[in-house]
Amino acid sequence: MKLSKWADKNAGYILILPAVIIIVLFSIAPIIGTLRYAFFDMQLNNQAKNDMYFESNINVALNQETITYLNYYLDIDMDSVQNKDTIAKIDEIKKDLRELELFIAEKIASSDLRAIVQVGQAEQNALLERQQSIVNKLDELYSMDDEFYSPEDTMAVASEFETSIIESNFSGVDNFTKVLKDERVHSTLTFTLIFTVISVFAELIFGLALALIMNKPFKGRSLVRTFSLIPWAIPTSVAALIWSYLYNGSSGIVSHIFTTIGLINSPASMLNSAQNALGGIIIADVWKTTPYMALLLLGGLQVIPNSLYESSALEGARSWQQFRYITLPLLKPSIFVALLFRTLDAFRILDLIYVLTGGGPGGSTESISLYAYKVMFSQTRFGYGSAIVLIMALVVGIITFIYIKALNVDLLGEKR
Amino acid sequence: MNRAKTSTLFKIVIVLYLFIIIFPFFWVAVTSLRPEAEIWGSGALQLKGAAFTTENYKLLFKTPVLNSLKNSLIISTITTIYVTFVASLCAYAIARLDFKFKKLLTVIVLVTSMFPQMIVIGPIYRVFVQLGWTNSYYISLPYSNITLPVAIFILITHFSQIPKEMEESATMDGSSKINTFFKIILPLAAPGIFTAAIIIFIGAWNEFLLSLTLNTNEAWRTATVNISFLRGQFEIFWGQVTAATVVVTIPTLIIVILFQKQIVSGITSGALKE
Repeated sequence: MKLSKWADKNAGYILILPAVIIIVLFSIAPIIGTLRYAFFDMQLNNQAKNDMYFESNINVALNQETITYLNYYLDIDMDSVQNKDTIAKIDEIKKDLRELELFIAEKIASSDLRAIVQVGQAEQNALLERQQSIVNKLDELYSMDDEFYSPEDTMAVASEFETSIIESNFSGVDNFTKVLKDERVHSTLTFTLIFTVISVFAELIFGLALALIMNKPFKGRSLVRTFSLIPWAIPTSVAALIWSYLYNGSSGIVSHIFTTIGLINSPASMLNSAQNALGGIIIADVWKTTPYMALLLLGGLQVIPNSLYESSALEGARSWQQFRYITLPLLKPSIFVALLFRTLDAFRILDLIYVLTGGGPGGSTESISLYAYKVMFSQTRFGYGSAIVLIMALVVGIITFIYIKALNVDLLGEKR
Repeated sequence: MNRAKTSTLFKIVIVLYLFIIIFPFFWVAVTSLRPEAEIWGSGALQLKGAAFTTENYKLLFKTPVLNSLKNSLIISTITTIYVTFVASLCAYAIARLDFKFKKLLTVIVLVTSMFPQMIVIGPIYRVFVQLGWTNSYYISLPYSNITLPVAIFILITHFSQIPKEMEESATMDGSSKINTFFKIILPLAAPGIFTAAIIIFIGAWNEFLLSLTLNTNEAWRTATVNISFLRGQFEIFWGQVTAATVVVTIPTLIIVILFQKQIVSGITSGALKE
């Protein structure tokens, strides 16, 4: 009884709990993660940099593995060598290796069995010195005249010592200063903004016109509405494939039509020239999202009461006056929402370009999302990629702020 | 301008609009039925005397396209089920119940839907690699990222439209709030919940970036990513590419035709929530 009373009192918290958990785990925590990555020189394919290290660390497991392998190779060498000097040298190195193990056990890892252990500067230097001396002695050993198993392999194993010492990869604001100076960030950001402004503007004009048309009763209106949904509903990668076929230089019908009417020089130049490719991407995007924009605005048009038009018509208002003084002001909140969300959507464009041009020709149609994706997943530079993404997020914030100020609309609709 | 002129112009605009929307699909569908040899050069542009064949589809079904459709279907279904449930609970609480931080929660949901998706992908990728969750159906979990906010906003609109008297009379009868929600509100909100489910499904079906980065193994790729690889190859077989496009578009077409009303309501109530 008590429990049910408690549950009733806290019903709100209980019902939001699953959503809050999911948002925290899959939105908020990753955003914080990205924020942290951006302050480190983090590279996933580099063993010494694939995590965030504030302090110096030793990869004890890797160090131990190196010692084990060196011992193994030296034992093989021991069987084949002939000279007394060489045997003495091998013994000396093996003794050093044992001492190195002891040093680690006493000074660094004591009872710790974790792979990566934090160390102070003094211990790290001491370890480095010991490792270096072993490598030097191996060098001396293999310059001696004798029968060895495989000096190259042994030296390759020894070079792993270096990797087992992990320096701090905290880089402060380095990534951000680099992003601001990165030519490719400038060019991709410029491209993305140009694409966003042109395509969203075109979508707004066409979408508004279509919404006004669809708001009038005519035969087949529901059919038009159904067809409008199709480009929006299909996956972007499918739309991109469709257009890449229509644009292709050999058999693309759109590239041939554009050539015939003189828009482009030859069908092959449709996606091979930077300017044409930009145009092609914009057309594909406008084709895919204008119907969606129209439906959004249509939703706004339908809540405008008809009586306003009737009474203004009685007073002799012309239709463009009705549009200017009734439709447009009342549609403003819908236009704001449609514009804002379309702008943010266009700004993060990735899949359309990934499939249609891959960023080409020569990187001229690379969007900033695509660049950040390539930095993170082709070059595995997570720290730098994260900094690019955060700059993007900043631009998103600026865009939102400008819209709210310019259109003077309250995003949460509280001051209605 | 006289009336007849206006209505002719009106008709022309509508026909042109429909033509622009439909033509790419029509042209791709036609191409997919022609032999590969005919799709090269300007021969592709002529339909007169074209030979028709189902060869492209036969070849396509030897590639993993069906498997990728199955992956998409399973991942989208899992996402739809749990996100619809979670979003319903949360949206009802926001629409009708009182609790602290309500405004903060609404703002957070809104803001997470505005950020570029790239902002979450790095940490999610790393955690998935560490947990061994890449190339699995666990990918449905981060799909909440793109589907949960919009679902919550659609459902807030729908729950707000249910008359308050329903809850009040239930409370008078001594029913607890959570009980009222499951027994009385949920059935009443079923159309709205269905609308949200459709929008979630389409969103999950169309997802690209998470699928591209997390399920990289060909056996686990979703349809959207899988067909993008057809284009990436050095030599492009347009017959197969267009056939794949048709096959992947068909499920979307079916959903649009069956549920157009719900989709339109979802689009407008999700964005124009006030």
